[in-house]
Amino acid sequence: MPVQDPADGQRPDRAGITSLCFASLGLAISIYLTVEHYIGSTALACPENAAINCAKVTTSSWSRLGGIPVAVLGLAYFAVMTLLVLPSAWRRHLLDPVRVAGAAAGMAMVIYLLWAELFRVGAICLWCTAVHVCTLGLFVTILWHTAARSTATGHSRVKG
Amino acid sequence: MLLGVGLPLVLVVAVVAALVIVKVAAGAGSPKSGPTASAAAGSVVAQVTSVPASVLNEVGVGVATTKPTKITAPALTADGEPRVVYVGAEYCPYCAAERWAMAVALSRFGTFTGLGETASSPSDVYPNTATLTFHGASYASTYLSFTAREIQSNQVVNGAYAPLDTLSAVDQALFTKYNAPPYTDSAGSIPFIDIGGRYLISGSSYSPQVLQGKTQTQIAAALADPNSAIAKAVDGTANLITAAICQITNGQPGAVCQSPGVVTATAALTA
Repeated sequence: MPVQDPADGQRPDRAGITSLCFASLGLAISIYLTVEHYIGSTALACPENAAINCAKVTTSSWSRLGGIPVAVLGLAYFAVMTLLVLPSAWRRHLLDPVRVAGAAAGMAMVIYLLWAELFRVGAICLWCTAVHVCTLGLFVTILWHTAARSTATGHSRVKG
Repeated sequence: MLLGVGLPLVLVVAVVAALVIVKVAAGAGSPKSGPTASAAAGSVVAQVTSVPASVLNEVGVGVATTKPTKITAPALTADGEPRVVYVGAEYCPYCAAERWAMAVALSRFGTFTGLGETASSPSDVYPNTATLTFHGASYASTYLSFTAREIQSNQVVNGAYAPLDTLSAVDQALFTKYNAPPYTDSAGSIPFIDIGGRYLISGSSYSPQVLQGKTQTQIAAALADPNSAIAKAVDGTANLITAAICQITNGQPGAVCQSPGVVTATAALTA
């Protein structure tokens, strides 16, 4: 079934709105983690046990990549992705490859960070996991929306 | 369309599942032993126990982020003297941070002997934080009594940090009652410090981050530099602890309790 195409100048469909929600939530959590990183807080709101320990993750040597705090990289990533999934941005087909590439890059980073948490730090950070879920949600909704739009465009071409 | 979305999603889920399965199969993260405690170097002890008053005065409260909390409780005494009780553990990174300030503050009221040095757990947050240990140390003062108990070492035995000092029944009762809400934010946190039944400290008063990558020698040397980040954290906290102790020693000794750094800290305590 063809989906409503934002390129037609109409409102984006549910997947487009959902992607904006995931990006905004990821951005909000990234802001929190960045603030916590720079104030050196010892009170990250996070339960603590043998497997879950936010501070252990966010203060480990794996919390930086190329000297840049991962929290800051996450903040920059979600800031850009939020702009890319705004309704006005969804109307630009030219940005589709950029969005998909961004979503895929985000998932690759999630897998890397999950590996670091599990096998190098030895603890899971719940806030980071929340960011990872947002990234996954963003990945799925961007792929879904882009694929749906391509299908709709294909149908349109066939009909035309 | 389903293929375009489903295939990448299945790949991602498969990779994540594989990571988790391998981790679970290999066993959850277990604690690791830190360096065995040894006698602290004489130069380190000398620098920690004699931070110049001028430096402490210049630092004031520094960058200490948490002040001792005033409580209403029966006076904590021993043989008629006000008493300070510390409960911590050698593996604990927050204890590692707080011990430096405790040692600086208490040295203004008395004398330590037998201080050790060690580091926090390499597998915990703020790994390998260089520190002193109160295990095996003694303290003498004409103003107060100090009891320090490191309840666990940083050595892993059978998957857990080995027990070290034992709390007396009285101190255990104190720890259980006052190291829990409403006196503290959460129950059982360490370090726990009861200053004469008037003030409590639960957790570290500054971020152990400032000590990361530093040795005992570097930390001890930095305490005399009022512009160093370490002095601002450790000496600032020491002034707050000193101000709290002055409340239970009736302002004695005057040279300490009336010093500008402690007066500043006292104002911060009561603010």
